[in-house]
Amino acid sequence: MESNTITITLQLNGSEKQFSVDEEETLLEVIRNRAGLTGTKRGCDSGECGACTVLLDGRPVNSCCVLAVQADGCQVETIEGLGQKSAPHPLQEAFRDAGAIQCGFCTPGMVLTAKALLDKNPDPSREEIREALSGNLCRCTGYAKIEEAVLLGAERLKTAGQAAKGGNRHENL
Amino acid sequence: MKTFDTVKHRIPRRESLDKATGQAVYTEDMKLPGMVYAAIIRSPFARARVTAIDLTEAEATPGYAGALLPEEVPAVRFNCSGNPPSALLYADEEVLTKTPRCQGDRILVVAAESAASARAAADAVRVSYEKENPALSLKDALKDGAVPIQPHLSETNVINHRQVEQGDVDAALGSSAQVAQDQFSTQLMQHVPIEPTGCICDYQDGQLTVYSCSQTIYQERRILAELLELPEGNVRIIKTIVGGGFGARQQLHAQHAAAFLSRKLNRPVKLIYTREEDLTASTARHAMEVKMRLGADASGTITGADINLWADSGPYTTHTPTVVAAASRKFHYRAPHYRFSGRSVLTNRAVAGAFRGYGNTQATFAREILMDRLAMDLDMDPVELRLKNQVQPGESFPCASMPVTSCAMEACARRCQEIQAKIDAEEGLRWDDEVRQAWGIAFCCHGSGPSSKEGLSSALIMLNDDGSANLLVGSCDIGQGSETMLSQIAAEELGIPLSLVRIKAADTLLTPYDTGTFGSSQTFVCGNAVALAAADAKEKLCAAMEKLVPGRKAVWEKGRLRITEPAGSGSPEHRRILSLAEAVRETMFHPLGSVIVGSGCYKAEHSPNPFSVCFVKAEYQPAIHGIRLLHIIEVADVGTPINILTVEGQLEGGIAQGVGYALYERLEYLPAMGRTFSTDLLHYRIPLMADMPKLHVDIAESFEPTGPLGAKSVGELSTVPVAPAIVNAVRRASGMEITKIPLCDEFLILTGREEIK
Repeated sequence: MESNTITITLQLNGSEKQFSVDEEETLLEVIRNRAGLTGTKRGCDSGECGACTVLLDGRPVNSCCVLAVQADGCQVETIEGLGQKSAPHPLQEAFRDAGAIQCGFCTPGMVLTAKALLDKNPDPSREEIREALSGNLCRCTGYAKIEEAVLLGAERLKTAGQAAKGGNRHENL
Repeated sequence: MKTFDTVKHRIPRRESLDKATGQAVYTEDMKLPGMVYAAIIRSPFARARVTAIDLTEAEATPGYAGALLPEEVPAVRFNCSGNPPSALLYADEEVLTKTPRCQGDRILVVAAESAASARAAADAVRVSYEKENPALSLKDALKDGAVPIQPHLSETNVINHRQVEQGDVDAALGSSAQVAQDQFSTQLMQHVPIEPTGCICDYQDGQLTVYSCSQTIYQERRILAELLELPEGNVRIIKTIVGGGFGARQQLHAQHAAAFLSRKLNRPVKLIYTREEDLTASTARHAMEVKMRLGADASGTITGADINLWADSGPYTTHTPTVVAAASRKFHYRAPHYRFSGRSVLTNRAVAGAFRGYGNTQATFAREILMDRLAMDLDMDPVELRLKNQVQPGESFPCASMPVTSCAMEACARRCQEIQAKIDAEEGLRWDDEVRQAWGIAFCCHGSGPSSKEGLSSALIMLNDDGSANLLVGSCDIGQGSETMLSQIAAEELGIPLSLVRIKAADTLLTPYDTGTFGSSQTFVCGNAVALAAADAKEKLCAAMEKLVPGRKAVWEKGRLRITEPAGSGSPEHRRILSLAEAVRETMFHPLGSVIVGSGCYKAEHSPNPFSVCFVKAEYQPAIHGIRLLHIIEVADVGTPINILTVEGQLEGGIAQGVGYALYERLEYLPAMGRTFSTDLLHYRIPLMADMPKLHVDIAESFEPTGPLGAKSVGELSTVPVAPAIVNAVRRASGMEITKIPLCDEFLILTGREEIK
């Protein structure tokens, strides 16, 4: 089993990190095993469940289906980069408050997919939410409260955005 | 209507932010020093004999650390079920085998320095097999001359036959105005928790520590101790954060193989399943054939029920006889004449075990479709027919020893009708050449705790001098939210805020015994233990306070103590109120001081029935022979809902599993292949977000007198009525009689909610 070791650079959660990786190593393996960020979950290793979703240059990808070398030079955002317990992202709080979290194994992937949706479309319809999140499987919730969580997160982000904008306007005056 | 401070509120589960920020530690996220990674080599054949195992290439794989062969484990048979010991749990499974009896049977295990190298080493192992003819259906296993799969248990592959009977069923049905009868088939279904099954086993100096996703840690401790010939106290099981259970982790998966390998290599062993292993080599929901006859008189009063079922156990007993027995105890209509005959049958298909519903799912499926036919034959409203026959509090189910203690079935049905009326008022019910829409309904019950009344649980509550409480329980939270729910019960009973209750659960070294998370038992069985522990803590604190000053009276009032000092005791205040912190501090640091540890133990004398009603709106499109689900309503009687958010979540999640079961989920076998090809999530499809119809769940007002703060269970109940309600909607919309699921065999399944133009 000869394999080449290649050095890649990732902008991982905002900081530049270098990793020596095997050429067949997946981005998921690098994130979990080399970077030690175990919030990204392995559910199926074949791109079917979405538990390993991370944002690659802002787009949600199944990190089990991306070779680490393909991510060289890219921005990678994992759930750890989105918000910490002490300073959670509004979407993470919305998932909690809506009761969208049961076993929690799908949650990091769900939250990141939802974030990618809201970054592009801050005011999605229910239909758009269902379409965007249908690559992420959940076996506990029946998805109803996840849909509510994304709507709640969108609402809170809009309010926070307006407050921030309001603040800026005030400063500009 | 009873009101509470902490209970019966919408409380997000307490570990939510750990999970939402990626900080929650699941089994695969753990790493112990010196740990190796294991992979199991499993039989690709449903029935075979291993003739040779060649490790030469595997041993040359980089990072190879060792192997465990069938001859290196004790030649003893066991039963993997996480139920307490029972005569029905026949021993017939081996840790590793040279005579695989199903696809996925464990042959050997290899270990290596990384997960990838373990997988590479496993791929390099060469196993030679002599294939034998498998029995891949109940029919094959039961035919004359079928080869017995476990000859020490049965020559006919029927390992158990449960029969219960009251009255004269044949006579009653013979003279009934209407009899509905048919034979129904349900399929093998997989749990598909999103977290793959896994464990880490660490054997050192005669001590085994197991970290695993598990629902039944104390039973696993007992079985592993027996297999490894260790004193039970030398085995410690620590449940990690679990990514879903649904019954899948109510039996040992491969902890035994990892434990023996750890003992051999003297290193911790991590063993995590692939998705294919999780689908094909864990335990499934029993496929069943259910033949049923229901009789009624002209007014719609049920006269009798005759139920025959055959459960496909796969090649091992696991839970099957208790699953069949549980199915016999869920007939919640009055039936003066009742006969149940259930056979546990061995086949060479997937091993079947515990799965949310536990036999109730399959029997209710058949019964509720027949009830619908009976209603049509009698020209009765399907709701009124069911309510007319519903067993009420004080009455008993057929052949049952205990009466029903609470039942709000009618409230559930009426609430469903209200929601249905609102939907119909908004969007009507279409019936034309292109689209035919109809509602279908089903009723069901379940138990709260095992219906065999095996439930036993205990809890400790330690009062701290800052006025907070530590709650210790053996209960396993597998994602259903039991830790938050039990903390709420403790907070409510103690009269303190939820934020002052900390919980430690599910570690056999640190927490007291609990039978296990199965049979929807945690709210009722462990919840009662927690309530008793709280009562004991309160009593002990009052007694301790009274001991400090002769003649003093101490009374617990909502988390505070009302102290009445004896006259002339020299106390500055004759009567005073102490906060919990002040009282605990006074007891703890007094010369006559003591520590307050309340304990509670609850042995389930009851398994009170929760009830549920499900309404489904479906449409049939004749041109393409397609069906689509539009709305699902489920309203449940769970007694007091301890946590409304959690109960709703259980209902919604249970509905989704029912949708998958009814529409397309199945371990599919091709007889020509001799194996299942449902090996990934494309070939075993579970509902996606876009697949789900609009859900409407609600909770009926109810109070269970034997439950903690009036509570009953919800977990399994939620999924049971969904498939028959879907089938009843589809049969009314399509006009076709349906006797088997999944419906994708007959219909094109349409998903998405948009109206067709």
